[in-house]
Amino acid sequence: MHQKINQKVSVITVFDQKKSLVMPIKIKWQGKVHPIKKLGYHHHYRQGRDLIHIFSVANQSLAFRLRLNSTNLHWLLEEVSDGQVN
Amino acid sequence: MDKSINHNLPLIMHIDLNSCFATIEQQANPLLRGKAIAIAAYDSPGGCIVSPSIEAKTLGITVGTTVKQARLIKPDIIILLPDPDKYRHVNHQFNRIFSSYTPCVTPLSVDESVLDFTHMPNLNQSLIGIGKDIKLRFKKEIGEWISCSIGIGPNRFLAKLAANLKKPDGLDLIDFRNLKTIYQKVKLTDLNGINHRFEARLNAQAIYTPMDFFNANINTLEKQVFKSICGKYWYFRLRGWEVDDIALRRQSFGQTYSLGKKTKDKPILLAILMKLCEKMGRRLRTSNYQAKGIWLSLLYDDYSYWHKSHTFSSYFFTTQDLYQKSILIFNSQPQPKVVKRISVSCFNLSKQDQACQLSLWQDKQNRQISLSHSLDKLNDKFGEFSVIWATMINTDNLAIDRISFGKN
Repeated sequence: MHQKINQKVSVITVFDQKKSLVMPIKIKWQGKVHPIKKLGYHHHYRQGRDLIHIFSVANQSLAFRLRLNSTNLHWLLEEVSDGQVN
Repeated sequence: MDKSINHNLPLIMHIDLNSCFATIEQQANPLLRGKAIAIAAYDSPGGCIVSPSIEAKTLGITVGTTVKQARLIKPDIIILLPDPDKYRHVNHQFNRIFSSYTPCVTPLSVDESVLDFTHMPNLNQSLIGIGKDIKLRFKKEIGEWISCSIGIGPNRFLAKLAANLKKPDGLDLIDFRNLKTIYQKVKLTDLNGINHRFEARLNAQAIYTPMDFFNANINTLEKQVFKSICGKYWYFRLRGWEVDDIALRRQSFGQTYSLGKKTKDKPILLAILMKLCEKMGRRLRTSNYQAKGIWLSLLYDDYSYWHKSHTFSSYFFTTQDLYQKSILIFNSQPQPKVVKRISVSCFNLSKQDQACQLSLWQDKQNRQISLSHSLDKLNDKFGEFSVIWATMINTDNLAIDRISFGKN
């Protein structure tokens, strides 16, 4: 099921200096901590002057679409998916 | 030795990303991998599938299948809406990788590019080696699920044919040595540019296979089959000579919108038309063009179709001008009916800095131009549609961005 969420969430990220890779590793959403195992894709686009980063990440059971606004550094959980049909 | 065949080294590479949008979505969301998914312009039953995944294609779901038909074939197919920003980003990654091999890269669409190595110095690596390298870099730098088919040939036509020989994840080369063998294995409609209508035209002249086509006399092709210079072009194209390396000039900018709720309500239709004109105008002005002509087409609920174009005496590029001129055409439709699809485009283009006839009402026009530039600056700074024309109120969810190509 794919569900639009659009809620602010707490996120822990790491920066791997060797791979030059930024990756969210934990998300706290609705009081529950979801560990992240895989970064599917990271892309960015401009919304006016704001640079928006989208991290498509997943663990074994859920995939998350996270949005980081690089102007105010706020994280938003845009979508959640369990990879099944709606 | 057949001297009419091009015996030069095959130096054109055609790269085609397999099931582009669906593969990118499977890359982003690992839980979708190995499943039948499809990207559709709309997820309503009548929505058109624009990119089925490789798994969906094996079930017979192709581009153009409706969501309803796809669900009949595979009830648990996952339908997703397009994410143009993501696809544009992947497209930029492709182009970055391609340009590290040759400066002559021609993007044909969001998922297809042609790399020309003709003017490159002697390469230490064969083109097959470069093809393998590109495939590896796709997986390493974009994502492990991304795969592409690569074709190499002496011209664009044969490179494209080679890329289509094995899907997904193919790498094939066609040159003077295996050209005839390949033609013996494929059908006429496998040749890029030959659709069922052309096939019928060729059949009428007793050309039933690509080998018959290849063996046809140049005069037969030019005088009897195509009845134009196209026949001569096909004669050379089939033999590996380049006839398709043409730089096309932009002729028009246009927008189309299929209405979710069909209507004949004029204020609603004009609001949509305004939004289409704003989107078209933004692209026109960003590319530094101005237009002299407007074309409007309406597809009605009863599947009848009306369209009209008009060329005006002076150039224009502001949204206001584009809209006002579109309304003139809109109001000239013979009978208002329930509209299903609206398309508007502007043509007869010239660069904005080109000298043109000044208007007698230059002062008013200058103010409109200043206003248009100011609105564009505001939308550049705060994001698309931050400031909108009053006519566009309540059109937030209409005519949204769906196509990822042709925009930076």
